[in-house]
Amino acid sequence: MPETPEKTSRQDWVGGRRARYDALGRVRGVVGHVGDQPVGTCAHVAVHRSTQPHAAIRAVHTEEALAIDGVYAVVTGADLHKRFGEALLTGPAFADQPALAYDKVRFVGEPVAAVLAADLATAREAADAVYVEYDELDPVYDLDTALNGESYVHDELRPSAVFGDLRHLDGVRDTNINYEYRLRHGNPNKVSGARTVRGEFWAPPTHHVPIELPCTVAWVEGGRLEMLTTTQTPSYVRQTIADLLDLPLSRVRVTTRPLGGSFGAKMYDRLEPLAAALAWQFQRKVRLAASREEAFLLTTRHGAAITSTLTADAGGQLSAATADVAYDTGAYADVGPRITAKSGMVAPGPYRIGSVDVRSRCVYTNKPSAGPFRGFGVPQVTWSHESLIDELAHELGEDPYAFRREHLLREGDLAPMGTRMHSADFVGCLDAVAESISWDTQPDRGTGRIRRGRGVAVGVKAVLTPTIANAVLQLNQDASATLMISTVDMGQGSDTIMAQIVADVLRVDSRRVHVVRADTDVTPYDTITAGSRSTYHTGNAVRAVAESMRVRLLALAAEQPEQPEQHGQPERSGVDTGELDEERIAEIVHAHFGARGATLTTEANFTSSWSPYDKETGRSEKVTEHWFAGAVGVRLAVDTATGRVHLEHLAVAGDVGRAINPALVEQQLTGAAIMGIGHALFDQLVLDQGQLVNGTLLDYQLPSIRDLPDELTPIIVESPHDDGPFGAKGVGETGILAVAPAIGNAIRDAIGLRFTRLPMTPEAIVTALESR
Amino acid sequence: MNEITLIVNGTPHRTRVSDSALLLDVLREQAGCTSVREGCGVGACGACTVLVGETSVSSCLALATRYDGANITTAEGLDENDDVVSAFADCGAAQCGYCIPGFVLMTRELLAEHPRPTSEQITEHLEGNICRCGTYPEIRTAVSTAAERRSPR
Repeated sequence: MPETPEKTSRQDWVGGRRARYDALGRVRGVVGHVGDQPVGTCAHVAVHRSTQPHAAIRAVHTEEALAIDGVYAVVTGADLHKRFGEALLTGPAFADQPALAYDKVRFVGEPVAAVLAADLATAREAADAVYVEYDELDPVYDLDTALNGESYVHDELRPSAVFGDLRHLDGVRDTNINYEYRLRHGNPNKVSGARTVRGEFWAPPTHHVPIELPCTVAWVEGGRLEMLTTTQTPSYVRQTIADLLDLPLSRVRVTTRPLGGSFGAKMYDRLEPLAAALAWQFQRKVRLAASREEAFLLTTRHGAAITSTLTADAGGQLSAATADVAYDTGAYADVGPRITAKSGMVAPGPYRIGSVDVRSRCVYTNKPSAGPFRGFGVPQVTWSHESLIDELAHELGEDPYAFRREHLLREGDLAPMGTRMHSADFVGCLDAVAESISWDTQPDRGTGRIRRGRGVAVGVKAVLTPTIANAVLQLNQDASATLMISTVDMGQGSDTIMAQIVADVLRVDSRRVHVVRADTDVTPYDTITAGSRSTYHTGNAVRAVAESMRVRLLALAAEQPEQPEQHGQPERSGVDTGELDEERIAEIVHAHFGARGATLTTEANFTSSWSPYDKETGRSEKVTEHWFAGAVGVRLAVDTATGRVHLEHLAVAGDVGRAINPALVEQQLTGAAIMGIGHALFDQLVLDQGQLVNGTLLDYQLPSIRDLPDELTPIIVESPHDDGPFGAKGVGETGILAVAPAIGNAIRDAIGLRFTRLPMTPEAIVTALESR
Repeated sequence: MNEITLIVNGTPHRTRVSDSALLLDVLREQAGCTSVREGCGVGACGACTVLVGETSVSSCLALATRYDGANITTAEGLDENDDVVSAFADCGAAQCGYCIPGFVLMTRELLAEHPRPTSEQITEHLEGNICRCGTYPEIRTAVSTAAERRSPR
């Protein structure tokens, strides 16, 4: 619909609520995803999966599978290991995961053999016909057995080349603990507290369940391995494939399409190493498409057990916090060690606390591997610290909102892990949600079947640091622009806000700025699209590349002789370099090249830095480039007969520094809150003796439109970051951090019971009420 | 193999399919309708929804041979100015958008039955569709907006 030019441009720039890139295409379903791309003749791949949680592979029988019509080949882990050697083992933190298991299997559902066939149905039939003989080993089903038993998931630890600070773990044997982070400040044991609260908390494994299923197509062309895949991490995947196949980076190409959601599911090594190995081995095009049941086995969110305390001294100050955190990372470490450290360091919460002692461990078990999931382990520790401080407030007879407010970290404060707070307005977020849910108005708690309560919680998370972002900008002569970055749009809206940043700097229409989809042949290196890092890191690179273009244009304009006859506006001739607009840009580029359709190119880099943790104390003066601050407030009703929780109002606030596009920020906040509601009330993976019990969408419950609170209020808090692009920071994870404890705290307010295990299902609530 | 004709968004497609071929796969692979998507394969997420006549069908559970001669509507068959499509776009009711075609078709079915749906009717009709990005608030607004556009008070 036509808008006035002034309004159009403002809405399209930084701070504007312009519509998402290709909104109509999304609604009509004409956005082409990876699985929609025609691939022509190819080998369809199905995998045979382990039926054992922990066993040595004695023999793999493939004869029957090979005899089926339409089967091209059957490959075992041993075949691939013979061909690729130890390079078959990949992983972001530990090189511990084979594309196909070859010596032993470590979880039920692990790929053991792959079938290549003319069509998927034949491939699946043949995969079922593969038969494996096992020698069973003692299984490690849970954290307790892993930490105290004598069976080990891996014979020795194998740190990857990605994180240099893990090197000292190389070759360590007889342990299921692949990483331990320790934070020590002061001496919590010597603190004489007036009051200590203690809890044993549990957050179960969950699954991301992006509705788009993972899919990878790989082929060989001109001696290069090319790949089209559903990934958030194209630059990482290129490196992994180059290492696996021993190729220079120039001979590996990884391309993506927009993702149909991901939330951490489609990153690092999923289908890609197997696809690359098979394509290379057979020099033919292969297509791997995971079913929903298979997608459940590719990665999960870490289940976490946390035993923690919080102590207040006689004056009411927070004097000590301790936490013993164990993340169940399943059979393969994936990025678990990073999660363990990054969330361990915020386990005491965003408070001024005298002394802290945190031990955070990443533990192997014989279960599907756990990896990154929106929040990166932090929601699990937030469940602990926000329940504890709530309980402490109750014990001290203090108001839980006011008590938090008094002790929250402020601008300039040193957090317990040693890094200073900047652009992390916890108080502003907490005040905003408290006001939104009318905290000061006591709920009508009721005396009958329905009881009401209210609760708040606060969350803190560090952005992924250090990371690297690059941007290349091609300005077309008609003042449209083509931006090359490797950020993957998976629904968060990066294609939209990056265009807004370019347009704001160059004063052009952001809808004429096209963002090129990640293609490692074309778009420059970018660490990953994850950890809420893109707005800040890639946004900074994009702002810089646009600024660089602006400088270039102004220099070109200054070089050009006055040519007033070209546009009939002498006052805007070549030497007037003060203002740019689309008409002026078109003239400058045209005059420079003497051609229509010419292009100008600039490039920029943005790299963040950190100080590694001190090995003794776990502290760092700069552990992160910046912080995310979020808060949630809830009003709810508990049906004491059924145990059902009804959310009447949920307010979610996040400090985003500056909202590049407020509409998209609000969607990130509410979308994360809705995902968090599932984690609080029903969402969990159930495993029995290592076997996933509810790994289909018939059994795995996800939030639906019925689970929406009666009222859901997103609140943008803006305390600009000194170094953010226009002051901005990311927001993808902020909204999920504090949802579960806010709901738990409101349930406590309503019925007087403190829940420490997630999810807080109707069964759990009824059981607790009955046993009171 | 069976020879069947599917009328997809007004265009007849004559095609040969096996007894076990799913409507989902035939629409995607033979009629080119990639707005119809497999999210779960068990009829639990709604991403594969199509309209047969005016009735919603989970195409991941439907055998193609049973739809010989059927009039099938998919989201890409809807015009950009369609009341429901334009309402979803204008209300920002798509993030990644993968599940949204299913919601759009369910909304058309709902509005055919209830031109002015109540909040509870919207919930009941759409609760079988999953949007993992959590676009539910915008979807609610879009459904009401579409109803208003379709039959203004």
